[in-house]
Amino acid sequence: MLSIKSGLRTGLSKVILRTFATDAPAYEPNYKNFKVYRWSPDHPEEKPHMQDFNLDMNETGPMMLDALLKIKNEVDPTLTLRRSCREGICGSCAMNIDGRNTLACITKINKTDGKEVKIYPLPHMYVVRDLVPDLTLFYQQYKSIQPYLQTSKPPPEKENLQTIEDRKKLDGLYECILCACCSTSCPSYWWNQQEYLGPAVLMQAYRWMIDSRDDATEARKQMLQNSMSLYRCHTIMNCSRTCPKGLNPGRAVAAIKKSMAFE
Amino acid sequence: MFVLPTARNYIRLAATTACRRASLLRPVVVPANAVFAKRHITTVKSSDSQEQSILVAQRINRPLSPHLAIYQKQLTAVLSGLHRITGVALAGGFYAITVAFAAGSILGHPIDPATLVDLASGLPAFVDYSLKAIVAFPFVFHSVNGIRHLIWDAGSQLTIKDVYTTGYVALALTAVLGVWLIVY
Amino acid sequence: MLTRLGLSVRPALAPVLRSTIRPTSQIAYRSLFIKTIPQPPGNIIGTVNDAYATPPPKVFAGSRHWTFERLVTIGLTPLVVAPFITGTSSAPIDAVMSSLLLYHCFAGFENCIADYIPARVFGVWHSAALGLLFFGTVIAGYGIYVIETTNNEGLFGLFKKIWTKQKN
Repeated sequence: MLSIKSGLRTGLSKVILRTFATDAPAYEPNYKNFKVYRWSPDHPEEKPHMQDFNLDMNETGPMMLDALLKIKNEVDPTLTLRRSCREGICGSCAMNIDGRNTLACITKINKTDGKEVKIYPLPHMYVVRDLVPDLTLFYQQYKSIQPYLQTSKPPPEKENLQTIEDRKKLDGLYECILCACCSTSCPSYWWNQQEYLGPAVLMQAYRWMIDSRDDATEARKQMLQNSMSLYRCHTIMNCSRTCPKGLNPGRAVAAIKKSMAFE
Repeated sequence: MFVLPTARNYIRLAATTACRRASLLRPVVVPANAVFAKRHITTVKSSDSQEQSILVAQRINRPLSPHLAIYQKQLTAVLSGLHRITGVALAGGFYAITVAFAAGSILGHPIDPATLVDLASGLPAFVDYSLKAIVAFPFVFHSVNGIRHLIWDAGSQLTIKDVYTTGYVALALTAVLGVWLIVY
Repeated sequence: MLTRLGLSVRPALAPVLRSTIRPTSQIAYRSLFIKTIPQPPGNIIGTVNDAYATPPPKVFAGSRHWTFERLVTIGLTPLVVAPFITGTSSAPIDAVMSSLLLYHCFAGFENCIADYIPARVFGVWHSAALGLLFFGTVIAGYGIYVIETTNNEGLFGLFKKIWTKQKN
């Protein structure tokens, strides 16, 4: 008895609801497939593989990093990646997205093309886990160019001034965030990273060479005076093509070669 | 979620336990009803050299991330690759010809250019033009792109826009001059 | 524990450090046919706080070599282009062109060896490749002498004859 009554009631309320409801279109999810490189040091016997993640684009933020964090938060918390600032200033989330090295946080997802996205760690680097490459060598190389002001002059009382023109020379060089996108896009760096310093580090070497306040230019040039450190650059220009900050490491390396041409 | 103690975390872990030990010296008020979940993290004392050897051992297992196969084929790298491949092929050809003449002369059977001409004349037109194309296009491309490289070495045309413009110009010139050379 | 450190292949395999730091696992075989020099794991020498050690300066392997290559190439360009425009060449001019071209090829191969057969990994094979290249270049140099002394228009003339099928 009770069941018939309640059944009647719900049937009635459905009719009423239908009468008052607006014509809401059925929810259409917009799926996009993300193929992500996976490797875990916990299972070194398993080879690296690509894992598929199908995400509803209606519920995903605009950037690649949003998609990766959505995967990490909602699908698979073991997915490992570096990220920090989410605005392209820290360089942590450098990775290879759809064949290009870039920062995940400032790369937009194309939500309408329906194509799958492939995400790899930075190319030709040793993988610590998933999308995290080992950048130790990169930092060791950066350290080797002595990226700090060297001068024999006594320190000035206030600011260490330079002319507006001299300061302008540093524009396009000092903005580098050392994300390693350029170095790991460079085939020369792939084959000889143990000896070739790579575009990012060489651009910083140039940044200190042309600083009007620095007196160690000659010593800095001597460090590059061999067949490997600088001259493995064959002006491939992948570096400048891929720089997520729009800088031009290739031009800086060419400028070093030019400045050393008659030494 | 729990932190996977990679070597770096491991070092940090050691540091934080040291800090905690210092804080233990101060009296700590513990609420009577506090429930402590059993923590499954254990700390191990290790020296710098032990940590270093763990790090080195971890590095041995690390795979190399994919590179050439997954990287986007961009005009920058493609033209550079073609420059090298054509350069090696042309230089190989140059060495082969000159070494052949040298060997012929040393071994007492000098190569007569006339026989080579006879040989080339005997080829069907299709094969002849194909062979000429195989020589002409790489030669023209390497020459034109070589000039592009010299311009770069002089410090010019080094923005990405210029790199692409000059790249397309080099390809167009290769097509035109290559055809001209084939019908030369 | 060891698994969490990312060290062991199978947890049962102990003792850790002895089993993971095997000299054999450090050997990075680049080639299937020849034995290469083992590289440090992750290509990293020293600790994370050490700087990469800069090699001693060698000016003739560095900037002088680079500049010389460029000067040769700049000299080579008009010598290569001119015969195609004028349609003819002479043995002395062609001899200069061929010599510069020979150095250009030599430098190109040298760069390939430095890129793909680095001494760091290939050791004696690197030296062997350079030696072979040097030997080949000497022979090729003699070949140029032969070509220039037996053909009126030198190397260009040789190509022209075969290209246009004229025996003259």
